[in-house]
Amino acid sequence: MRDLWDQMPLTMQDAAILLALLAPGLIAGVLAMRGLRPWPMARALLRRNRGINLLLAGLMALSVGLGTALTSQERALRIGSARAADPFDVIVAAPGDRISMLLAAVYLRPADAPLLGGEVLARMQADPRIALMAPIAFGDSWNGAPVVGSTAEFVRHLGAMQAGRVFAAEEEAVAGALSPLQVGDHFTPAHGGGADDEDQNAHDGHSFEITGKMAPTGSPWDRALIVPIEAVWAVHGLPEGHAPGTHTIGPPFDPAYFPGTPAFLVSAKTMWGNYALANDYGTDTTMAFFPGAELSRLHGLLGDVRRLMSLMAGLAQALVAAGALAGLAALARLFAPRFALMRALGAPRRFTLAVMWSYAAALIGAGAAGGLMLGWAASFIAARIVTAETEIAVSPGLGWPELHLVAAFFSTAAILALAPAVIAFRRPAVEDLRGR
Amino acid sequence: MIAPARPPALTLSGVEVRDGARVLLRVDGLEVPAGHLLGLCGPSGAGKSTLLHVMSGLICPDRGAVRWGGADIAGMSEGARDAFRGAHMGLIFQDFMLFEELSALDNAAIAAAWAPAPARAVIRARAAQVLRDLGIEAPDTPASRLSGGERQRVAAARALAGDPQILLADEPTASLDRAGADRLIADLVRMARAHGRTLICVSHDDHALAAMDEVRVITDGTLGGPA
Repeated sequence: MRDLWDQMPLTMQDAAILLALLAPGLIAGVLAMRGLRPWPMARALLRRNRGINLLLAGLMALSVGLGTALTSQERALRIGSARAADPFDVIVAAPGDRISMLLAAVYLRPADAPLLGGEVLARMQADPRIALMAPIAFGDSWNGAPVVGSTAEFVRHLGAMQAGRVFAAEEEAVAGALSPLQVGDHFTPAHGGGADDEDQNAHDGHSFEITGKMAPTGSPWDRALIVPIEAVWAVHGLPEGHAPGTHTIGPPFDPAYFPGTPAFLVSAKTMWGNYALANDYGTDTTMAFFPGAELSRLHGLLGDVRRLMSLMAGLAQALVAAGALAGLAALARLFAPRFALMRALGAPRRFTLAVMWSYAAALIGAGAAGGLMLGWAASFIAARIVTAETEIAVSPGLGWPELHLVAAFFSTAAILALAPAVIAFRRPAVEDLRGR
Repeated sequence: MIAPARPPALTLSGVEVRDGARVLLRVDGLEVPAGHLLGLCGPSGAGKSTLLHVMSGLICPDRGAVRWGGADIAGMSEGARDAFRGAHMGLIFQDFMLFEELSALDNAAIAAAWAPAPARAVIRARAAQVLRDLGIEAPDTPASRLSGGERQRVAAARALAGDPQILLADEPTASLDRAGADRLIADLVRMARAHGRTLICVSHDDHALAAMDEVRVITDGTLGGPA
């Protein structure tokens, strides 16, 4: 059985889980309505109390919608942040906080980081296992967008170009997909975040021309401007990584003229080679880590918060469902004369249960469906906000986990809806007929 | 040639309904032959509706028997009484008790909702026919848009759609004007006579009672002799 399950495609597994979650509610419905046709009566009840029905279904839709939007956005952010870290195999930096370096190198969050010097560079350049070694120098900006120094190989590794070409000279630059700068535009970077006039004008005289525009990567790099790392060193008045008089950009760099860089992106020729590199460059003077692994650790640390959020979403749904069911129980009393009439006309007791249950199930179904639509719409809004705030492309929309959540809600509420139905079932027909 | 079996009489013997020590209804003996039109009258709270509920099986008497042929209605289980009522009886109430949101036809054919699948189309067709017989020309009209007289005729059609042998009417004309009341009584009597149905009608309306074969008076829960 376990083998059969493992061999099933994931979509089929999700569909099977969905059916399994829906099954209890549907079975309750089949048992309640077996051999009867309660829908016309249930429809009459739905039409009679439109305001109350809309309120109950709306409340359920709101709670389901918030729950699904919350879980879908949490997952989308997790996937988006992992995708943004994909191109970064191993980061080598000075010893310190890995998370800070992860945020700085991958997500371009401002950070002060110590520099790695020429001896580390020399070791890497001589390492035959390394396929790509790119220094990453960050800290400057233009109009709030990060200006990052690196190599042409790094740009190609990061993603394809949608227009123009990768820089080939020190005064050339590449713009991210979301940058307002286009091929042929010029810009002058500011020092740091460009907080004051001094920083704004610190690099005057160093203008760059955009020679290429990158295709979207779904990461904060989409807003960045990438320049040759030699240019970053030059605007800061540092040696440019090559012996004076050599007007080249890119590797190999001369360790004797290497002024330092906060981080290197390193990629081994083989996948397992990355593990060896991460191991070998984790020394007293260097720190090496997999951004993906650090991200997983971060997500793991946040896992408790995620569980708490899921619990709160579930609790909110349960509370709203309980409130709605309490309302339905009160309505069952209001409907009592109608149920009594049906009994007087010869309806079996079970018919009143079927009418009340199908009425409640219709409200719950409407709440669940409305919640799905609301959650879907909310996920679009939330995705735009999160993407704007983090610059990580967050895909909107609902997935199987949300469908499972809503199915579980429907089934649980549909089973609990048997309670008001039983209240209707147990009421004495004659007394209700007399309006007592 | 075998003659078709006559519908049985409805008989009550030694029936007593109590609320604690208080006797709500006492009927020592009553036989309503098939096709008989019986009127019941008496002061408010005398027990007329209680008697109707006992006959219909909605109330199980504390003592006595309610028989229809070989069937002891009072001795049946609740489910069996529901089924018996649905199969053999039609009920009409003072305040119509229609589903305002449903059409005249949906109201008249309401029993189709809980009937076995094969019987549903029959009930619906019969309801449509009875509505036509009672002068309801637009059966798709929502009950909320019908006049009082039309509503009570829809309620009568609902009672007749199951082709019952016994019609139990509780103050059917009380909410109608004179013309509407007279028309309804005429219709009920006509449809009872035409099909040999028993009609038991609780009423304060002299016109309605005058149309019955026999009128009995209930006073303080006790069924008396002919009025």
